[in-house]
Amino acid sequence: MAENKQAKQPKVKEPKVKKEKKGMTIKTRRSLEGIMFITPWLIGTAIFFLFPLITSIRLSFSELTSMAGFEMEWNGIENYRYLFQQSTTYIPNFLAEVKDTLIDTPITLVFSLIIAMLVNRDIKGRGFFRTVFFLPVLLGTGYVMEVLLGSEMNGVITIPSGLLQAIGASFAELVTGFLSRITTVLWKSGVQIILFLAGLQGISASLYEASRVDGATEWENFWKITLPLVSPIILLNFVYTMIDSFTDSSNKIMSDIEHCFSNGALARGASMGWFYFAFTFLVCVIVLAVMSRLTFNQGER
Amino acid sequence: MEKTADRAAQRAAEKAAKKAAKHVSVQNRFTKKHVRKFIVSVFLYLVLFDLAFVFLYPFITMIIDSLKSDADLVNITVKWIPSSLQWSNYKVAFDGLDYFQISSTFPFLGGFVMNSVFVTLVATIGHTFVCAFVGYGFARYKFPGRTVFFLLVILTMLVPTQVLIFPLYIMYSGWGWLNNYLPLLVPCFFGYGLRGGFYIFLFRQFFLGLPYEMEEAARIDGCGALKTFFKIMLPMARSSTLVCVVLSVVWHWNDFFEPSIYLTQAPKLALLPSRLPAMYAALNQVASEAEDIALNSNVVVNQAICMASTFLVILPLLIAYMFVQKQFMEGVERSGLTGM
Repeated sequence: MAENKQAKQPKVKEPKVKKEKKGMTIKTRRSLEGIMFITPWLIGTAIFFLFPLITSIRLSFSELTSMAGFEMEWNGIENYRYLFQQSTTYIPNFLAEVKDTLIDTPITLVFSLIIAMLVNRDIKGRGFFRTVFFLPVLLGTGYVMEVLLGSEMNGVITIPSGLLQAIGASFAELVTGFLSRITTVLWKSGVQIILFLAGLQGISASLYEASRVDGATEWENFWKITLPLVSPIILLNFVYTMIDSFTDSSNKIMSDIEHCFSNGALARGASMGWFYFAFTFLVCVIVLAVMSRLTFNQGER
Repeated sequence: MEKTADRAAQRAAEKAAKKAAKHVSVQNRFTKKHVRKFIVSVFLYLVLFDLAFVFLYPFITMIIDSLKSDADLVNITVKWIPSSLQWSNYKVAFDGLDYFQISSTFPFLGGFVMNSVFVTLVATIGHTFVCAFVGYGFARYKFPGRTVFFLLVILTMLVPTQVLIFPLYIMYSGWGWLNNYLPLLVPCFFGYGLRGGFYIFLFRQFFLGLPYEMEEAARIDGCGALKTFFKIMLPMARSSTLVCVVLSVVWHWNDFFEPSIYLTQAPKLALLPSRLPAMYAALNQVASEAEDIALNSNVVVNQAICMASTFLVILPLLIAYMFVQKQFMEGVERSGLTGM
């Protein structure tokens, strides 16, 4: 592109040359324009992201000596040592949250993909179903959702107790645990459904037509066309779901941090957050590394 | 003679029967296919309605519970249909939330619903314009460090606010921004705030999918970069803009964590969702005074009023969404996330 422009440049006379700053090639000008476009974000990154991020890391390795002036004193891994050796709640809460996230994330992904595929079909009342499945996003990501799910969600789906006895106690526990979880999980998958829907819509219908002509079944279509093409969205949704459950207001670690905040134990709260974040980040990186090999890339764009 | 005629007739009859059989078998095949299709679609609708029910259940119970009288709430046989509709619950909730009460600090804003509307609108405008701007830069220009910066955008999506909240709080208090809307609004104009990185990602993805011809034509005609963006590219991004606006409005409206940190000392500036816990506490106090028992503040006494107030909090969102629902879904479909 840039070369093409450069070749054209000498032909254009007065007006274009005037606009160019002297001694600047098209390429530099283009990159300057690009930087101009991201300038607001660059400023924001420095002020609202990098500075707090670094302060927060420093804080997690320090002791807050004066609240007013925000003076810190380096004390090494003292805060972290407290979390692992003295705190009675941090490790159990941490493990519980990790377990929940690991169970919830695959369920969310599978269900939201299924729902997105269902409402992507040519069915009657598509608009109605789409609105219904997006409703939880409207109703709240925070307090309102907690109120609704907290008080109402016991036993939407129940299984007859005879059936439960028939399938054995341990398996029954698993099933009931799954069912009690499923409403909450489904309710938190509105955005994922939307993203999958966007992805499914982007797949060209001619691909399906071609494969139907070649005699492929719908089952084969799913594995050979749909899944590879939405795999980047699966990745995106995976990260989104992880972060969502990580920052959820019902998350025990988050409420611990908020508790630390209101008690003035800022350094301890920072170290709590950082250890948890580092762990989640590590999981995300591992999954990204593994899945980016499996996801289908549509060539260079 | 007769024999041959007979044979001919027989042959004709056989032929006809064969034809009929063939016809029937064709018809049968069709019906079988139809039956299969019918069963599949019945199954499909069953699954859809089941899922829809699971999604709607809390919402329906909220509306039903909000209209129940005290007697109905206690009576467990009354689950779906209240014996009488108690509209006064909404009156109590309306007053309890101070929905439209005039606040003295911002006389032009009436009540807590207006606080929420104000913050949500300003934040959304900031998010939409700035994230489209930045996303366009990432999608269309090559500059040194672009990949690194974009990875940084993704990182900002990953880092939760809770990790950054202490330094931010100290920073804002140093600038005198506490108990003010500034900490909620200003970051939005720099691509931060509530999930700013997500919108940048969204717009980048969209602009990547657009053809280059328009911009080239504009540039050859001497249109500057800024003008090209605002006059040509932004109007083309209507669908993505709508998706960004809807999500930003919804998330800002429901945001609870950050306002509860930054606005603690300014009850007049409180946003609508933050009013809920305060209202529950007030309700409990009234109830415990009346019954003279110490109640746990987490136990909500009057479920009906609680549900009515929750419904009132999300009502403006529902109304607003009804208007943009169709365009929003179209916008989602055109967002070009897979781009094939």
